[in-house]
Amino acid sequence: MDFTEQVRKRASQLIEEGTVACVIGWSAGRLKYQRTPTCADTPEQASNLVCDQHCEHALGKYVLEQKDKGRVGLVARGCESRAINRLIADRQINREDVYLIGIPCTGCTTRDGVELKRCHECQFRNPVIYDELLGEPAPEPKNDRFADVRKLEAMSREERRAFFDLMYETCIRCHACRQACPCCTCKVCFAEQEREGWQGKQFDVEQARYYGVTRSFHVADRCIECGECERVCPMGLPLMTLMHKQIKDIDELFGPYEGGGLSDEGPDALRTFKTDDIEEFM
Amino acid sequence: MLFKKSRLAEVLDATAQAMDVYVPAIVEGTSCFAPYGEDAGVTEPNFELQNTKIPPKGLLFPSTEKLYTWGKGPEGAFIESALDKPAPFVAFGVRPCDVAAIERMDQVFLTKGYIDEFYQAKREALTCVALACNRASDACFCTSMGQSPNEAPEADLLLVEGEDAFEIHPQTEKGQALADLWKPFLEEGSVDHKPVECSTQVNMEGVAQKLHGMFDSPLWDEVSTACLTCGSCTFICPTCHCFDLSQARKKEENARFRCWDSCMFKDYTLMAGNHNPREQKRNRVRQRFMHKLCFFEERYGEPLCVGCGRCLVDCPATMDITAIIDKVNAWEEKEASHV
Repeated sequence: MDFTEQVRKRASQLIEEGTVACVIGWSAGRLKYQRTPTCADTPEQASNLVCDQHCEHALGKYVLEQKDKGRVGLVARGCESRAINRLIADRQINREDVYLIGIPCTGCTTRDGVELKRCHECQFRNPVIYDELLGEPAPEPKNDRFADVRKLEAMSREERRAFFDLMYETCIRCHACRQACPCCTCKVCFAEQEREGWQGKQFDVEQARYYGVTRSFHVADRCIECGECERVCPMGLPLMTLMHKQIKDIDELFGPYEGGGLSDEGPDALRTFKTDDIEEFM
Repeated sequence: MLFKKSRLAEVLDATAQAMDVYVPAIVEGTSCFAPYGEDAGVTEPNFELQNTKIPPKGLLFPSTEKLYTWGKGPEGAFIESALDKPAPFVAFGVRPCDVAAIERMDQVFLTKGYIDEFYQAKREALTCVALACNRASDACFCTSMGQSPNEAPEADLLLVEGEDAFEIHPQTEKGQALADLWKPFLEEGSVDHKPVECSTQVNMEGVAQKLHGMFDSPLWDEVSTACLTCGSCTFICPTCHCFDLSQARKKEENARFRCWDSCMFKDYTLMAGNHNPREQKRNRVRQRFMHKLCFFEERYGEPLCVGCGRCLVDCPATMDITAIIDKVNAWEEKEASHV
């Protein structure tokens, strides 16, 4: 996957003609596999953008920080486009705030050339909304994304407890998952409401579990399955297992459901009541 | 003097008989300095790791550390210090950059007229055994920060790895005591160690002075764009030492503790009355790099970065401190000094 030339050309044109105030994309770093999210404000800066298989970061949420400049151009793959739908549905932006330069994505690789887990599990590689698409739609392999969930479901209660305990014991509570998540747009996160004191500041498994479980339930029916939380986790925790479990459950209980961010409107399953909803847990 | 690699287990076992030993190891999917021994499940140090994911700083400055407890006992109200005197312990196989990071923490916690007793107690109990590098990763840049991958002057003892042996260099009394303990395994000789060089290099000459005048520079808007303002970089950094004070109140015990904090977090500078001097991301990013490259240098004469490269590898947004230093160097040419 290399759309570098097309992205540079279109981004420069869009800025030049005034369609957008800036374009969010990636630039290259010192090492050959290093890419970093960047915002080009001028055609010159746009001519340094890069778009290839090393562009592992999901960009959707950066729109929130750049939208004061005017209409924001965004290099958008499947994951970015679903993030934009999510941000619109959550009343964070309007559709006209962004101009989506669609990329038919074929997935990113790690620095060692292995396909990223989040890309392997991706169900919508092509952008689900865009203002223009650079090239022909890419194939959608729709690989199985629930293998880890089935393993979790097959565990005994004790094994499951051990699985989550290990995960939350390893967590260093850097909050990278929250910061990267396009569903995490609370002005003040519950974990930061110090005066209320929901979250203790001590680093231990109880506090990490409280943070992790609360966060995952808060985004459950909005999760766009970009897998960015898992990618950014410096400790490599299997955060998507719990997200995928919830998405699978929503599909089975209230579905059909393919995940969040496929459109910019509801209803979101866990905040909707229907009289024919199953009630077996009540 | 040296000991053969085949005798490493004996050396470690002998040391572990005398005191607790921590070695680099992969534990439950992450890497850190873990207790050595059958009980802890780590029976072999992992020297293949260039650096452990979690630096050894937690041995001296734990992520959560109880300072005192209080409550109502049978004899009335009490306040009890949680300061204890830890038994001597060894960190075995610490890379030179991480040893230098301990020296940086010493500056913070033990100099300039204030002694942090909690840090000091653990620091005095520590015998630091450094291990010279026999390769450098593409993220290593310690030579640019005034360190060397081949030596660790602040360590108690330096190990130099050869093909089939470790050469030992005791550098302090504690190091000599350890060498005495290892006597049965030692033999005369030296190893063939090719000095390692870092391929990634930056020019630190004059960076602190330049940064001093760049507090209001637009550079910070540029370099902070990608930052997620998570705390990954600060928690995996061997030199970051900011902490918060908080308390846990439980029926059985009330405890005041200190815990790691991160200047990347919004609530880090939140003040009473809700004023936040670093509300904006650019201000927080600026603080982190200013502290590392300018403020610390001005106070202690060395940067608060030892070039271990962890943040280069693990930053989820691929923020690269070496690229930022390059930008600072280049900025002066673009723009006359600000302020």
